Amino acid sequence: MASIITATTANGLVSSADNSGVLQLASGTGNLVTIPAVTGTAMVSGNMPAFSAFSASNQTLSNATTTLITLGTEEFDTNNNFSSSRFTPTVAGYYQINAGTLFASGNNMDYSQARLYKNGTGGTLLKISSYYSPAVAGKFSEQLNVISCIVSMNGTTDYLELYGFGSSTSTLTVVGGASFYTYMQGVLVRAA
Amino acid sequence: MTLYDKIMAIYPTLVFQDFDVKGSIQLQNDSDGKGDYIAKWNHPTLSRPTDAQLAEIE
Repeated sequence: MASIITATTANGLVSSADNSGVLQLASGTGNLVTIPAVTGTAMVSGNMPAFSAFSASNQTLSNATTTLITLGTEEFDTNNNFSSSRFTPTVAGYYQINAGTLFASGNNMDYSQARLYKNGTGGTLLKISSYYSPAVAGKFSEQLNVISCIVSMNGTTDYLELYGFGSSTSTLTVVGGASFYTYMQGVLVRAA
Repeated sequence: MTLYDKIMAIYPTLVFQDFDVKGSIQLQNDSDGKGDYIAKWNHPTLSRPTDAQLAEIE
């Protein structure tokens, strides 16, 4: 049982009450929603940040140098929380983050990493995705590093950045130009 | 020549792992046009190379 507030098509707002302590909202004759008996912020699609960005072009990295990946193209950024390759959500909570870096080298690439940092390299290294394969001289090679994780963000100062790191005797390139090469995405899955 | 190459020329005993995430040295590039720099140098025996030492290596 429940106390129900219904928006009807004939009689405006109609309510019925009982002593169950449960509150439900309804539109018309269906679409019943039960308000959970918890303390928190009701999240609707309009206030749940989501973004997706990718590298617009190839980026050359120096060997053994932790390098910020430039994510210059936004696919979407619903809450304007992504800027200058950095995600700084303004809603506190837990975020599902996906990221990937595609490394390519003309020859002799043996090592690559994607690193997800919270609050810069002086902050917290959250996740690493490493790829190692013995270098083969003269062979073009690619290595794809993928990160998937859930991150707690305070909604004010916390920010996320994607870094790359690798080793090659040839030019070490992080491939850009399309959303499936090098990217970072995120969405709020639970408010704080 | 990159900063990594210069440091390896000054200290050939260093290995790649010294620069990895658990290593004592961190080189960094913030993709802001300012290039590579030494963000951390905690090597137990080798001292941080000076700008003059790095400039000598070409």
